Amino acid sequence: MSASAQGSTATTKAVVDDKNKNGETDKDKKPAAQLEEDDEFEDFPIEDWTEEDTQIPGGTTHLWEESWDDDDTNEDFAVQLKEELKKLGHGK
Amino acid sequence: MAPLLTQVCSEVNGALQRRDGVFLASILAIEPPFTPIYEQLIVGLRATYPANTNDAIGRLERDIRAIVGETEESEDADGRPVPRWGAMVTFLASWMAFIRDVDVLNLLKTYEDLSELIQRGNAALQHTPKGVLLLPTLVGYAKIFARIAVGVEKRPELIQHLLGPVNQEGGRESLAEKAANVVRQCFITCLSDKATAPGGIRNSKPDGKKAGVYKMANICLKILFQSDKLDNCTAIFRNINNSAPPLHFYPASERVTYLYYLGRHLFANTDFYQAQLVLQKAYDDCTSDPRCRHQKSLILVYLVSANMILGRFPTEHIYSQPEAYGFRKIFSPIAQAIRRGDIESFRRLTSMNVTSKDAVLLRKFRVFYQIGHYCEVLIWRSLFRKVFLLTGHKGTTEKSAPTLDLNAVLAAFQYLEKRAIMTPAIARAEFGPGRRPATFAPEDFMASTYIDPDFEGVEDAKPYNHMPDIAEVECICSSLITQGFLNGFISHKMNRFAIQGARKVGSASKAGFPNAWEVIKATNVEAGQNEVEGWVKEIRQQGGPNVIRLASARPAGS
Repeated sequence: MSASAQGSTATTKAVVDDKNKNGETDKDKKPAAQLEEDDEFEDFPIEDWTEEDTQIPGGTTHLWEESWDDDDTNEDFAVQLKEELKKLGHGK
Repeated sequence: MAPLLTQVCSEVNGALQRRDGVFLASILAIEPPFTPIYEQLIVGLRATYPANTNDAIGRLERDIRAIVGETEESEDADGRPVPRWGAMVTFLASWMAFIRDVDVLNLLKTYEDLSELIQRGNAALQHTPKGVLLLPTLVGYAKIFARIAVGVEKRPELIQHLLGPVNQEGGRESLAEKAANVVRQCFITCLSDKATAPGGIRNSKPDGKKAGVYKMANICLKILFQSDKLDNCTAIFRNINNSAPPLHFYPASERVTYLYYLGRHLFANTDFYQAQLVLQKAYDDCTSDPRCRHQKSLILVYLVSANMILGRFPTEHIYSQPEAYGFRKIFSPIAQAIRRGDIESFRRLTSMNVTSKDAVLLRKFRVFYQIGHYCEVLIWRSLFRKVFLLTGHKGTTEKSAPTLDLNAVLAAFQYLEKRAIMTPAIARAEFGPGRRPATFAPEDFMASTYIDPDFEGVEDAKPYNHMPDIAEVECICSSLITQGFLNGFISHKMNRFAIQGARKVGSASKAGFPNAWEVIKATNVEAGQNEVEGWVKEIRQQGGPNVIRLASARPAGS
C-alpha cells in the first residue's frame, strides 16, 4: 500500500508550470549554464551534502577584488577627461 | 466498510506503531495519477462514503477510529499517559475525502481542499508525543500546496475560467498570501514544540517537530517570494530568531535555501552588508553538483550585487565558475565604470530608462535599481580620485597638504553628466581622434525631452536636465568625507578639498581616498551588523530568559 503514485508529482506541475504544447519547458531549450530569467529557487534534488561537495575549483579565497582603484592616467577615459579639464584651465 | 479501507487503516496504524513518519507519508499520497490500488480505494470510498451525503465523514471517522488504535488514549513506555489523538482521525478522514474528490483540472478547488487538509493535518501535528509522525506527510503536502499557489499566481489564465471573466477583487493576489499563512501555521507548530531536548537539538540533530522548522519556513518563503510579498517574510525571520535551533544542525539543502531567502530579504531592505554575509555563507555551503547550478547561480546574482554595492568587485576567479556563466558581460562594465569614475558609462548602464537585455535581466532579479542607486557614491569617490590624479596639487611647501580644486571636479562632473544624456553616437563623435569638442545643441541630448503633462503647452516650459553646480559638488565632497570615503577637509573659501595625513602615509591618493570596502566594512562592523536577525548560530536554552543587551542602555536616572 506504500507504493503510492510515484512520479505523480509531475501532474500538478504539468498543469501549473511553464510548459508548451509539446510538453517541454522553456528551460529545456536553453543551455544549462545560461543565466536565465527564471528566478524561482527550486528545491534541491539532493537533501544533504558534505563540505567536500561544496568545493569550487581554485577555492574560495580570491572571489572578491577589494583594492580596485584605477591609477592609470593613460587609458582613453583618463586621457579624454584630462584634455577636457585642461581646456577649462584645470591642469597640473 | 469500503474495500481496502481496512487495509489502508491497518497500514497507517502499523506505521504509527513503528514510529515511521516517512512510511506514513508514502501511504498518505494525494497526487494523481494514483496507483491501481488507490484507484480501487477511491472507487470504494465513493460508493460507501459518497461526497454528497451528510454523514459520510462521520461514518468514515468512526470506521477509521475502529482500526487505527494508535489514536486512542494510551501510555508510553515509561507509563506516562498519552492523550487521545482525535485530530489524527479527523485528518485521516479528510485525506480520504480529499483523494475521493480531487480533480487537478479544477485548480481552485484543489487549492481550497488542500488548504483545509493541511489545516486538519496541522491540528494533528500538534499532538504530543505522536504529532511529529505526521511531519514528513505535511512537508510533502505543503510543497505541493506551494506549487499550486505559486502556479496559480504565475499563470492566472489557467484559472481565469474559474475566476470568471472579471477579476475578482484581490482574489488572485490573496491566494498566495493565504497559502503562506496556512503553511506558516505548521511552521509555528514545529517552532513551538515544547517536548524536545533542551534547545531543540538531540545528539547534534534537530529534535521532534523542530526538525521541520526550516523546511516549513522555506516553503512559506518560497510562496511569499514568488508572489512578491516580501514584507510578510519579516515575521518568519523574527520567529526563527526568537525560537529556532541553530541553522547549522540542519541538512545542507535546508540551510542554503533558507540563507538564500534571508539574504534576498536583507538585500531588498538595503541591508547589503548583512545580505553579503548571509549569501556568502549560502554560496560557500552550496553544492557544486551540476544539477544545482541554477540555485547556485541565483545565490551568486545577489551575492555579486551586494558586494558591488559594498565596494568589492567579482574577480576573474568568480567569473570562471560554471554558475557565473554570463556574469562577466553584465557586471564587468559596471565595475569598470565605477573603477574609473566614468559617470557617463555608468549612467548608460544603470539609468532607469535603459532597455538593454542585461538591464532587463537585472530588473527581473530586482538588483538593477539598487546597483544604479547605491553604487553612485563609489563612482563619486572614484571621480574625485581621478580628478585628483589628473589635476591635484601636491602642496606648495613640504608641510602644506595636497589639495584638489573642487571647480575641476565640477568640470568633470558636468562634462560626464552632459555626455551621459547625449545620444551615444553624438557622444562618440565628440571624441574621435583629432576632433575638437563640439558645442552642445539641444537635439544632441536624449534625456531632455520630458515635460510633465501638467506643464504641457505652458509657455517657456522646458525639459529639465540636472547639472551639478559648485554647491552640489561641495555637498558631495562633504558627504564623502562624512562617510569616510575621503580623508581631509574642505576649504570653503578656496573651493578646495585638502588631504590629511599624506606625509604620514607617504601617498596623497592613499591618504586622501581610503579603500572603499575597508571603510564600509568597518562602519558595519562597528554598527554591530555582523549579528544578523534570523540567522541563529547558537543554542538557546528553552524557557530561559532572553538575553537583553544593555550595552547601549543609559544609566538609571540619566
